[in-house]
Amino acid sequence: MAIDKNRPTYAVEAIPSDITNSVFLGNPAVDNLLSCVIAMNAEMWATKRRMKVLESLLAKKGITQEMIEGYVPTAAETSEWEKERDRFIELAMGPLANDGFRTIGTGFPKR
Amino acid sequence: MIGRRELFGATAGALVMAQTLKADAAVAAEKLKSYTAAPKGSYLPRGTDGRLARLATLDLESHQDFTLGFRLMHSKALRAASAAAFERVLEREGIDPLTPLTGEQVRQLVETEPGINIASRAWLANQQVTWKTLRDHFHANADAYLSEMEAADKSGPGTLELAPNLDIPTYARHEIHIQPGGYVGDPFAGHIYHYGTNSFYISVIGHNEQDQVHKGSAARLPLPEDGKVKRILDMGCGIGQMSVALKERFPDAEVWGIDVGGPMVRYAHMRARRLGVEVNFAQRLAELSGFPDNYFDLVTSYIMHHELPGEITKKVIDEARRVTRPGGVYYPIDFNSGGTKMPARMMYSRWYDHRWNNEVWSFEYHALNFTNEIGARGFNVVKNAKPALPGFGVRHSIKV
Repeated sequence: MAIDKNRPTYAVEAIPSDITNSVFLGNPAVDNLLSCVIAMNAEMWATKRRMKVLESLLAKKGITQEMIEGYVPTAAETSEWEKERDRFIELAMGPLANDGFRTIGTGFPKR
Repeated sequence: MIGRRELFGATAGALVMAQTLKADAAVAAEKLKSYTAAPKGSYLPRGTDGRLARLATLDLESHQDFTLGFRLMHSKALRAASAAAFERVLEREGIDPLTPLTGEQVRQLVETEPGINIASRAWLANQQVTWKTLRDHFHANADAYLSEMEAADKSGPGTLELAPNLDIPTYARHEIHIQPGGYVGDPFAGHIYHYGTNSFYISVIGHNEQDQVHKGSAARLPLPEDGKVKRILDMGCGIGQMSVALKERFPDAEVWGIDVGGPMVRYAHMRARRLGVEVNFAQRLAELSGFPDNYFDLVTSYIMHHELPGEITKKVIDEARRVTRPGGVYYPIDFNSGGTKMPARMMYSRWYDHRWNNEVWSFEYHALNFTNEIGARGFNVVKNAKPALPGFGVRHSIKV
């Protein structure tokens, strides 16, 4: 949301740092990936923390932690959740199996 | 001795400080009962946690909780791994770990060492998440937060003096701690600083969400020999945590907090008002404070000087001398200083903090012997005095 220019904010022009262009790990892509991992973990923790709030509120409505922990999924649920688990793992961890050896400048092979 | 970056890592002073803070926290808990109702127009959708207004969304609070937790982990596991990698580099280069090196020498050593650099990159990325999540939130809700400050600007307790025509020096315009906009360039610099820096303390000193560290430091500041404390100045007060703590310790004193950042003192006033504490905040330069000669009984600052060029630090000491009354106390709290060479590992922390945490002036600060500078400028520096903040420099000074 843009701030009305006529509204006093008492802010002046700052001298920006140059950290966004920093390379610590020899390859800016690797630096960027690490930044992504940390940001993603922050989001993941926010989701987990929200789940904890939900569980606390559910407990106050009679759905206890024991009921959640002790819940036995139906066979249909188990099947569905396993498919979802496998999809999640493939998405999140699948790239580890990539055998990369072609650099970006590599041309098309002969067809 | 605590270096700047050691504020983000484990130190021996932590245990001592933690014990002290337990007592402080008990006192703070009592004070919390007097937390005043938020003024009309306040944007507090999730209420307060003691002295701290809770961040406005659960996700934002959780993001800060994550970055705080990551700092803790970093201060232990990643720093240990980095230190081990550092030892290997020194061994490979045939350098005794205790040999004093300059920042430049250390920089060249670590340039291509992944075991060190991954820890450094992770720390930086975490810091960026802290700032970005906060800045994005306050700007996305700019109207509400500006309205809240506008509602508080002209009402007490306490006063607020803003100086829109003040010529902000270039040295003060940097994005210290890589905080977007720094202390002067973002309308919500105070908000962002407050919530962002809460996590700075956790791995060394403990929690500061209830101003425990500032209250502890204020409680330890020495009095003039005659015991008279009627006027107090907090130079470079930032968001006024120290100023408020001083007013709470000396409720009958006239307390002033001054800072170059308009958004900082604006937030400071709003927060002090919400706490029901009467402090006068003004947007002024520490080296040109505008107060009469000999006006204050106690002049202090909280971790300001390492953010200043060396020449400005000298001017600020001169100004402190001018406004402190004879026999009055000057006690600037800041890191130990006086050294441009250190053992490699310590120097790396200092250099990294300077270069990548954007502590632009910290090397100038450390090139000075700050305590000696005070002694050379009309103050008697008390020998064997106690630190106002354990692990930091001891600068109990009395105006001659």
